[in-house]
Amino acid sequence: MREKLALLRYILAGNPVTLLALAMLVLLLGCAILGPALVPYDPIATNTASALQPPSATHWFGTDQLGRDVFSRVVVAARLDLAIAFAAVLLSMAVGSVFGAAMGYFRGWLDTAGSRGTDVLMAFPLFVLAMAMVAALGNSVSSVVYATAVINLPFYIRLARAETSIRRDMGYIEAARVGGSGHARILRVFLLPNILPALVVQASVNLGWAVLNTAGLSFIGLGVRAPTPEWGIMVAEGAQFIVSGRWWIAAFPGAALMLAVFCFNLLGDGLRDIVDPRSRT
Amino acid sequence: MRRRDFGAVAATLGMSGLLPARWAQAQTRAESLRVLSEAGPNSFDPIGIGVNRNAIQLHWNAYDRLLRFGTQTRPDGTLYFDYYTIEGELAERFEVSDDKTAITLHLRRDATFHDGSPVTAEDVKWSLDRVLGIASGRAQFSTGSMTSPDQFVVVDAHTVRVTTPRPDRFTLPNLAGTYPVIFNAKVAKAHATAADPWATEWLKTNVAGGGAFKLDNYVPGQSLTLSRFDNWKSGALPGFRRVLWQMVPNAQSRRSSLERGDADIVQDLPPQDAVSIAQAGKVKVVGVPMAGAFQFIGMNSAKPPFDNVKVRQAVAYALPYQQMFEAALFKRGQPLFGGKPGEADGTAFPQPLGYSTDLEKAKALLVEAGFANGFDTTFSFELSLATVAEPVSLLVQEALGKIGIRVTIDKVPGGQLGTRLEKKEVPFFFEGSAAYFADPDYFFRIFYHGPTRWNFGSYNNPEFQALVDKTRYETDKAVYDADVSRMIALVKQDIPIILLWQPALDTGMQASVEGYKYLFHRQLELRTLKRG
Amino acid sequence: MAFLLRRLAGVVPTLFGVVVAAFVLTRLLPGDPAVFFANSVTADAATIAAVRQKLGLDLPLWQQFLVYAGQLLRGDLGQSVGTGQPVATDLLRLLPASAELTLVAFALAILVAVPLGVAAALRPGSVIDHACRLLSTAGVSLPTFVSGLLLIYIFYYQLGTAPEPIGRIDPFAIPPPGITGFLLIDTLLAGDTEGFAAAARQIVLPAVTMALFALAPLARMTRASMLGVLGSEFIRTARANGLRRRKIIVSYALRNALLPIVTTLGMVFSNMLGANVLVERVFAWPGIGSYALDSLISLDYAPVQGFMLLMATIFVLVNLVIDLLYAVIDPRTGLFHA
Repeated sequence: MREKLALLRYILAGNPVTLLALAMLVLLLGCAILGPALVPYDPIATNTASALQPPSATHWFGTDQLGRDVFSRVVVAARLDLAIAFAAVLLSMAVGSVFGAAMGYFRGWLDTAGSRGTDVLMAFPLFVLAMAMVAALGNSVSSVVYATAVINLPFYIRLARAETSIRRDMGYIEAARVGGSGHARILRVFLLPNILPALVVQASVNLGWAVLNTAGLSFIGLGVRAPTPEWGIMVAEGAQFIVSGRWWIAAFPGAALMLAVFCFNLLGDGLRDIVDPRSRT
Repeated sequence: MRRRDFGAVAATLGMSGLLPARWAQAQTRAESLRVLSEAGPNSFDPIGIGVNRNAIQLHWNAYDRLLRFGTQTRPDGTLYFDYYTIEGELAERFEVSDDKTAITLHLRRDATFHDGSPVTAEDVKWSLDRVLGIASGRAQFSTGSMTSPDQFVVVDAHTVRVTTPRPDRFTLPNLAGTYPVIFNAKVAKAHATAADPWATEWLKTNVAGGGAFKLDNYVPGQSLTLSRFDNWKSGALPGFRRVLWQMVPNAQSRRSSLERGDADIVQDLPPQDAVSIAQAGKVKVVGVPMAGAFQFIGMNSAKPPFDNVKVRQAVAYALPYQQMFEAALFKRGQPLFGGKPGEADGTAFPQPLGYSTDLEKAKALLVEAGFANGFDTTFSFELSLATVAEPVSLLVQEALGKIGIRVTIDKVPGGQLGTRLEKKEVPFFFEGSAAYFADPDYFFRIFYHGPTRWNFGSYNNPEFQALVDKTRYETDKAVYDADVSRMIALVKQDIPIILLWQPALDTGMQASVEGYKYLFHRQLELRTLKRG
Repeated sequence: MAFLLRRLAGVVPTLFGVVVAAFVLTRLLPGDPAVFFANSVTADAATIAAVRQKLGLDLPLWQQFLVYAGQLLRGDLGQSVGTGQPVATDLLRLLPASAELTLVAFALAILVAVPLGVAAALRPGSVIDHACRLLSTAGVSLPTFVSGLLLIYIFYYQLGTAPEPIGRIDPFAIPPPGITGFLLIDTLLAGDTEGFAAAARQIVLPAVTMALFALAPLARMTRASMLGVLGSEFIRTARANGLRRRKIIVSYALRNALLPIVTTLGMVFSNMLGANVLVERVFAWPGIGSYALDSLISLDYAPVQGFMLLMATIFVLVNLVIDLLYAVIDPRTGLFHA
């Protein structure tokens, strides 16, 4: 454990960017967890008397069309955006890894059918597929989670399948089989834990993408319901006001969105360095 | 730095040297008009499946009708159609028989189609028969007692008679409406097939008419060029020789190009843009309250909890009308809240329904209705209405929360809400619609009556239904007014839908563009426009 | 050749899967197109029934699918109600716009990403390396609808240096004869250099928006691949032999690093083509992405299905081309001899 920590410190020291990302993640998680308790205004309370005010000391990020405080909404939105991203990525990782590992382990018809299915899924234009799924499932947070999970699925299936295929004929698996372990046990105890690091790296890279996907769906009006603050919706709402010079309504949630994705992407890189030292430089 | 100033002729010719090669050299900016709208026509045929609103703008200007509505001038100088005056278009004059069951129409003898062939009674007969030959056309014409081709009689080459089984106030307006355009029947028939006797496939993508403008070029989803039909006889020759109509989906882009002087007219400005453009003062914004159009909050009065009139009234008293009007509509329209409660205020409808925000009264009504602890419901609206509906829904949610009604907001993609309304599955929603004809009984017949989705509140009061049927053919003005007053009182008390406002149709245009006329279908009348 | 045929045959089941999935997906959309398209306030139940029959939606689902499959076999993608045009016509008209935008963005991304990746790989851990990482990560972190709006606000509205963000060409222009559908090429073929300049000005902002997003995977893969090659035996040998640095990098290292880069290129390209819905939305670009979105919202089945089939076909073809490129770049894979 101590060695691991030392390694972590070593890596972070050599990689100030990852350190920065980590700090940002802490900030984001802080917003997500504590945000609703800390913000100066109720993020959904309207006050049409003070609508469309530019940033000031009372409203740091200004107010929107209904007089809601943009700062409070940006901070509170972190919770929903992060929750959707984490849920979607975890879901597709869980389903994809089990399915992919089974395909790689058993081969045969399961593999053939699974690979074909994955090919078909990959061949779809993914964002439009997500749009269609949300439209079909109805506008709700869970639809966005499912849609995002589905379009991420092929990556996990392929990864898990490839990693399992390499290992299934290795000595230690052979030994377990001879030792009388059933298929389920071999998969669970010997294979999945070994392919997990690769999956986690993939997941950390996908998190940022999941946030973008969620925001993109909200931007075109699908997904998260009002009045819940969400960065993509806020940008879409604010976009109408940019031309009349009220840039703040779209700019701040846009910046928050960028920051979050940026942070996840940097972290993904950093994690890759830690988990897979060979690729580290 | 301003990139371009199209007000200056020099710019038209000088800039980048590209332009002379494009529009014929002699054409000047003064004679051409550039219009931007969100979408373009998806058909050139007025009747068909899923024909959109923008299609009207094309066929309204590319075809003539037998009759048209007259013109009145608003106090601000804007021209406005006059529903109660009907004048000839292709028909230079018309007579209504004494028993009011026959209309004789005399065609202009010098009128021709774009291809030069004369307009004859046969063309008119074919065009009117065609309306009845297509399902949605038949449904519309039946509102004017026209249901059988036998009712359209060719008297001679330039005379047509339309007969109805009984006098009907809606026959003339129907003939002046958007559907009965007069086709060049010879050309159209040449493209008819056994499976498609009315040439619907061909007319969807081709124009065979004789309207004030000819269609030169169409790139679907992008642009459409029209040129003036110089032999047009049905009115004063239009002021513009050419019209370039472009489709620009993005509202910001449309607005920017108007303010920079690149576009002459931008249609359907969102309310907040109309306000800020008007304030900036660089271009003019003409805002006309849309006749017959309205936005409202509907409640399904066929199902609990909204089947209880007290619940509906409670909601009507709880809504923050003024805030909604300001924050969502930026006051671009005519309020339909406030006004005289419980009884008619004149016989025009829509009119303010007499409800103002009064939370105490709302709470009391809810308690009386047996919902002391409130209830849960879902408030739906359509994606395409989001700019107005989104803020409305949030204010509704907040206000109803104060009287204990817990509202979930559901934003639904366009195609879905209609279906759910048709199945009467939506409890509580925001929508908008419009009636073309101004008679109050027509409005009631569509929006407060019958099994269709247009009876948004699923309103079913026997007394009211009887009055809707009774007024259909009423010719005695005094009786009619009394009946309408009673109907207005009923919908004010029963409040199946809460009318919010008549939104304004905001059109932005360069100061040099004159002669803008508001029409019942809310699309541009190109004939009257000119550059001052 | 046999390889090519085998690959092509392998494509068929995938495309069939896409056809079925797209069909099912559109039918899962809640909402009845017949109700939606019978949109006049005087439409009654009879009108709706007539519309339903006309659209062929009164048939049972399996029959609808057979009808659709039959149409596909005849090369007919169906009719769009929304635009009133055949879907195939619409797609053919709109695809060049999307493809041109994607290709320009793609070229921009390669021009920036590959040198950047190489520079970063040559000096790992240096300022350039960190800058490369930051820049590419920042690019991929920018939601395209945010960066697009930002660029419009700055370059069109504030500075006025960019033309109106409306479509592909100056609206008053007569478009060049449509030979390829790519305005940048057609204007040149017609000898219209000013038209070319105008089209180029229109495409800059949306292309930059998309390129920013595509930068990261390319730069990253170039860097990683170059690092791997630079550390290998033969480069060290080349260095030891005193070959010039420039020659080593360009003719030895880069060529050998190309393989994984090409794979990434293919992935990025087909992703961009499918994912530029948002960019097209923001820039009013008349492409297939906005077309699909509009059709989806308005329950217009045929265009949605046609779009998905087209995208899948392109995806599959691009992958095929990549496989072939592999064979060209690296004869050891021996695909043509197997």
